[in-house]
Amino acid sequence: MTVASQVKQTLSSLKSAQASLESFAIETQNQMAKQLFTDAAQQTRNVVNILEPRIQDLEREEPQYRQF
Amino acid sequence: MPEWSIILLRVIGVLFLTLLLVRMPGRKSLSRLSPFELISVLVIGFTAALWSLNLIGDLLTIIIALAVWVLIPQIFSILSLKSKKFRDIYRGQETILVHQGKVLEEKLLREKLSPEDLLSMLRSNRVFNFADIEMAVLEPDGELNLLLRKEQQPLTPHSIGIPMLQEQAPQTVLIDGNIMEEKLAALGLNRHWLLTELIKLGVAVENVFMGQVDSAGQLYLDLFDDQIKVPQPTIKEMTRATLNKCQADLELFSLSSRADSAKKVYSDAARDIKNISTGLESLLSR
Repeated sequence: MTVASQVKQTLSSLKSAQASLESFAIETQNQMAKQLFTDAAQQTRNVVNILEPRIQDLEREEPQYRQF
Repeated sequence: MPEWSIILLRVIGVLFLTLLLVRMPGRKSLSRLSPFELISVLVIGFTAALWSLNLIGDLLTIIIALAVWVLIPQIFSILSLKSKKFRDIYRGQETILVHQGKVLEEKLLREKLSPEDLLSMLRSNRVFNFADIEMAVLEPDGELNLLLRKEQQPLTPHSIGIPMLQEQAPQTVLIDGNIMEEKLAALGLNRHWLLTELIKLGVAVENVFMGQVDSAGQLYLDLFDDQIKVPQPTIKEMTRATLNKCQADLELFSLSSRADSAKKVYSDAARDIKNISTGLESLLSR
């Protein structure tokens, strides 16, 4: 596996975790837990946003492995 | 009437009478009765037994005796509720036997307890060293309760500073295949949600013996057929595992990348993910 695809994999795991956190935030009845989950989902989204440009950089560096 | 039939009738009568009388001291377990109440219960029992066996004859004597033994303890216990002084005499007072790791010998002597008695009572409270005790109190009913020193007390989330969220008690929404609508409504859910969840797990309503929903909306089931394994909800654990895996991956990327800027991006991201997962520790673990 190329580095770019590894990073992509991690990124999609992170997105899945973010989605789970958002669904917990919706499901829970406890206001404080709701807030905590919402914050965590937001922070995860920030990390995803920071990492996404990295994938573009990696693909520029290794254009022969570009997948999609 | 033959004698055995008289005795039979009396025994049955006394049975129901004592059933009523013994309830009189209120909802206290037998070991919590004061000595006086215990004696009165015994006397009531004996008197009733003697009368039912025709050993003492006169019904009026029995009724008077029973009435006294039932009423006086009642009056005493009402009085003891009203007056603190009377209560101390009637129920007795608690005694402090160990204070700040020091055994109070004169108190021990007054309660007629030997050092071995004290040690054995401590041991039954799982304390083997009296120096660990902040305070040990002998209750009026002879029970020993103790408070350990702060450093000997079991760890709680509070004592190590982990914030915990108040969690609602799980609601039992399914019993014997019957759906409890009002319990579901209390969680803001309805019958259709439950049926959908059951279809997702591939379980028919009739097969469920008991089903509970926790405050996070996860459904836990017990089926009539214990051979069938129901998957327990693991989505929270999965999420935590995913977060931890991402963090580990990011750290690996940060170590393996050569460019300093990329290293920094990865290690920052790893740190952020770690913060998120520690912040949710108490929420994502069951």
